Amino acid sequence: MSFTDADLIARVLSGEDHQAFGELVRRYQSPMRAFLTRMTRGDSHLANDLAQETFLKAWQKLRTYRGGARFSTWLFGIAYNEFRMASRRRKELALEDMAEPPPEPAGPAAVSRSQLRLDLAEALKVLNADERAAVILCNQNGLSHEEAAQVLDCPLGTVKTNILRGKEKLKRRLSAAYDDHESA
Amino acid sequence: MNPPETNDPLDALLRTQDDYIEDDGFTARVLAALPRRRTWVRPMLLLGVTIIAAMLTAWWLPWQNLSPFGQSALLLLNSPVLLPWVVIAAVVSLLVGAMAALQWDD
Repeated sequence: MSFTDADLIARVLSGEDHQAFGELVRRYQSPMRAFLTRMTRGDSHLANDLAQETFLKAWQKLRTYRGGARFSTWLFGIAYNEFRMASRRRKELALEDMAEPPPEPAGPAAVSRSQLRLDLAEALKVLNADERAAVILCNQNGLSHEEAAQVLDCPLGTVKTNILRGKEKLKRRLSAAYDDHESA
Repeated sequence: MNPPETNDPLDALLRTQDDYIEDDGFTARVLAALPRRRTWVRPMLLLGVTIIAAMLTAWWLPWQNLSPFGQSALLLLNSPVLLPWVVIAAVVSLLVGAMAALQWDD
């Protein structure tokens, strides 16, 4: 028998049920860790630490979850806050635009679908944190623009702008491989 | 409401990036890091308050007016000296008990 998120949350709140919370962690560990890995530009060690902090915060703040948004949206919000705090600590936000851009993608002759995915992962690193977060949340995790605005704590228009800008940058970055893939 | 589906190949490519990450002990590490229940806090607080209340009550009891077998407990509670202290001890016990319960929820 599988419980809904709401059932599990109710069980956690009624008796501090670690097993119910464990089930919530198992359900959402993958999207949270994937999101944070991309936000940290592939630093899976830091991403795992931030994901663990995210779930610990969720445990502490679970009583404040009102159920108005999906539980995953609420978790993404905590995860993004953890990322921002870590960025501030490491001063990565200030250094972001000065970061070494990833190498150019391989030429059309070498492009396969797996290569294209690798190139896309590299290209995502070119985006700034706001653009990257908006693109990942909406285009990879299936959040609506409104949900992404809630997670990122910014106006809806800003999310849409960041997605447009981010995708334009990705297209420019991938243009050679992208055109070849389209024609294949 | 999900973002509108488009025919943009970039959107399709982005969706294929959504790989599942194996748990690989992650959930167990999170559960091990959760704060444990402090099972000793409330009983110890209540025990401490009870002891203090009992000591205060014993200190202020008019022992000199009590013979070993001369007065009943009901007469004792009717004493104008003792009764306020019994009330104070009860109020203090209730307040600290409530505080212990609040701390339990945190």
